[in-house]
Amino acid sequence: MVEAPVEDKRISLEEAAKIVPDGAHLFWGGFGFQRPPMAFAHELIRQRKRDLTIYTCGSEMDLDILCGARVVSRLELAFFAIEGIGLVPNIQRRIREGTIEIEDYTNLAMSLRFLGGALGVPFMPLKSMLGTDLLTRTRFRPKKAEVISCPFTGERVVLVPSVQPDFSIVHASRVDVEGNVQIDGIKGEDVEGARAGKKVIVMAEEIVDSEFIRSQPDQTVIPNIYVTHVVECPWGSHPMMVYNYYDYDMEHVRKYYEQCKTEEGWQKYCEEYITGVRNRTEFLNKIGLERLMKLKAKKPFAY
Amino acid sequence: MAVCGSRAIRNGDVVFIGTGLPMVAALLAKRTHAPGAKIVFEAGFIDSNAKDIALSIADSRLGYRASGAIGLFETLGLMLQGGHVDVGFVGAAQIDKYGNINTTYIGPFEKPTVRLPGSGGGNDITSSAKRIVVIMTHEKRKMVNKLDYLTSPGFLTGQSAREKTGLLGGGPSLVVTNLCQMDFDPKTKCMRLATVHPGVSIQQVLESTEFELIVPTRVAATDCPMREELELLRAIDPDGIYIPRTK
Repeated sequence: MVEAPVEDKRISLEEAAKIVPDGAHLFWGGFGFQRPPMAFAHELIRQRKRDLTIYTCGSEMDLDILCGARVVSRLELAFFAIEGIGLVPNIQRRIREGTIEIEDYTNLAMSLRFLGGALGVPFMPLKSMLGTDLLTRTRFRPKKAEVISCPFTGERVVLVPSVQPDFSIVHASRVDVEGNVQIDGIKGEDVEGARAGKKVIVMAEEIVDSEFIRSQPDQTVIPNIYVTHVVECPWGSHPMMVYNYYDYDMEHVRKYYEQCKTEEGWQKYCEEYITGVRNRTEFLNKIGLERLMKLKAKKPFAY
Repeated sequence: MAVCGSRAIRNGDVVFIGTGLPMVAALLAKRTHAPGAKIVFEAGFIDSNAKDIALSIADSRLGYRASGAIGLFETLGLMLQGGHVDVGFVGAAQIDKYGNINTTYIGPFEKPTVRLPGSGGGNDITSSAKRIVVIMTHEKRKMVNKLDYLTSPGFLTGQSAREKTGLLGGGPSLVVTNLCQMDFDPKTKCMRLATVHPGVSIQQVLESTEFELIVPTRVAATDCPMREELELLRAIDPDGIYIPRTK
């Protein structure tokens, strides 16, 4: 039997961010504190990207730093906060300044919009949003949603437009060089979101041998057919969490939250942890091995 | 509030919740009268037996001895919209007399003063769960005549407006605050005082409510939390993250 050559899709974090042009539309992976592509957000800020549009369900500190650094100007999403702590500080300021715009949907609506994009159909029906301002209040979309009577039953349903962003950015547990992806714990909306993007960049905590993936094919949640590039990125979600890998760094998050209540505080944070370091390794060195080891997941817990 | 929320859960219910007080309420229910309740977190953890208190609905802590770890499309789409969720818990920054909820903006839409978290799954839950329990603090600026933004549907404009608009779920059944519990008049769908917490007067509730609240001729006092419930609450939230230790 002739063995197929293994396609190696690995690129560096810097190269991956470089591919994303100003003005691009991005699906942004992770959900809440779980697996946000923090390292990618840092790199987009270091490369001074501008005018990006983000599509996601719910995000936290990751979107707050992107809005703080003026990388993102438009968002279509359902939720953001720093859960258990408070409202996102930078985003509050950017909204008041009028430099970012948000089109609000629900979590189900967003995940269906990604599923629709992945399926190649222009819209998806759902039973949320009916009777509320989510249907009628729009910021920048000429049409945000439409209520129709079902042509078969007459029942009222809401249609939301599908999304096919230029790039899907997902941070996963493990991936092989060909781009077969395993995700431990909850998947959020990453399964649909990764399939909706025209190009898909997968960051992962570990690059594993393809034989490992092929020894447990039922664990592959995103097959390599969808994946354009693979980036090895351990601790890629710090100070947020990755299931089975590490816990959130609440000390860091609380410090961020307190400091970013003022623009000066945010500028100082950004300089200290993002623009003032050359790359992810330098950032992790700054956090320090001792701290990172304390956050490492302890079996049988995933945190 | 946590105890009232807990008592609203029936044994065997599929309960859809976020973090914070609803999570504490659901864990309390599981350890008391409703051990068969199944807790679903929208991020994807199913029937969690979390040992430690979680900060995020996607928190890895919720994965401990859970029966499943899936995704949003399944929890909000297949489980919730598919009709498998008995009771959903939500919070509110503002609520009106029909139980409609705002969690998006304070101030005018064109120039808001505060951006709140948004719907998240809140609108999905209030649209499609069979019953809804709202947990919130009771203040005049929160119990309002008119919402700044209608994020999640209660009974909309009352009477049968909710059914007519095509929503699947049953709408709000209970609003729990730090002062009282309220339910809804079956016909007009207007909010009605059900019980006042021990030490709270009806007058105090009315002074803290901007909209017109229905007050029946007889309003009972809320049953006091039992010693066992209080002890369990301390065990569930030992550091007082969601239940402040004032007493």
